[in-house]
Amino acid sequence: MSKKPRETANVGAGLWKATGMWAWLLFRISGLILVFYLGAHIIVISTSQFGVGGGTFDNVMNFLDHPVAIVLDVALVVAVLYHALNGVRIILMDLGVGIHRHKVIFWSAMAVVVVCFVIFAYVAFSYLANDVGPWNGALGVAS
Amino acid sequence: MKAEAVAAHRGGMWAWLFQRITAILLIVCLAIHLTFTHLLNIGDLGYDNVANRLAHGGLTAVDIILLAAGIYHALNGLRMVLLDYWLTSRVRALAVTIFLWAVGIAFLVYGIWGLWPWIGY
Repeated sequence: MSKKPRETANVGAGLWKATGMWAWLLFRISGLILVFYLGAHIIVISTSQFGVGGGTFDNVMNFLDHPVAIVLDVALVVAVLYHALNGVRIILMDLGVGIHRHKVIFWSAMAVVVVCFVIFAYVAFSYLANDVGPWNGALGVAS
Repeated sequence: MKAEAVAAHRGGMWAWLFQRITAILLIVCLAIHLTFTHLLNIGDLGYDNVANRLAHGGLTAVDIILLAAGIYHALNGLRMVLLDYWLTSRVRALAVTIFLWAVGIAFLVYGIWGLWPWIGY
């Protein structure tokens, strides 16, 4: 038996076994989520400026301090980090960097996603638990 | 003819290049934006807090770059998805491109208008 029929039969099932196809699908889904979020973000922030002296803006920020909103923020961080780091991988592929080790590059990028996510999740859940960020004020940043 | 159609459905060389350029701008500016809003100032987000931060012109510049690069990247990305699934004719593709540019410019203007009260607060 020649190799050809087997290869033909494997098309389709084989494509979706490849890491790259799942990476592509998640990239597209996270991208669409981010388009929606960016639109909502601009509309919410700018519309709150119709209030006098920042009153409406502060009310919106208080509303977004709700634990459900913060958990949604953490989910958004996952979408942002995945899209950003998979995007870095795509740019590396475009430049021809590491094409022969693309799976290593993909999983390295995902490791960066996990590390950054842990930092954001730690800060968010410290805030939820203590009602204050872990290094709030400690770094001397204007507040 | 075939090659021409494929090229049109790929969205064009300049769109491809700008998608990469805005991607790099977004990674740098978004890292700054998220660090200052959500890591260093968590729990303090309010009108005066944002005003204090944006008093440093650099952060205002970062936000304006984010607006422009983010809107371009988002809408061009959306355009690429539409080109894959729905935009089969060149006329439709052109109409959607023009529509998305109008939407993008409207969002850019509204976003800068929203930042305006903090500039020189």
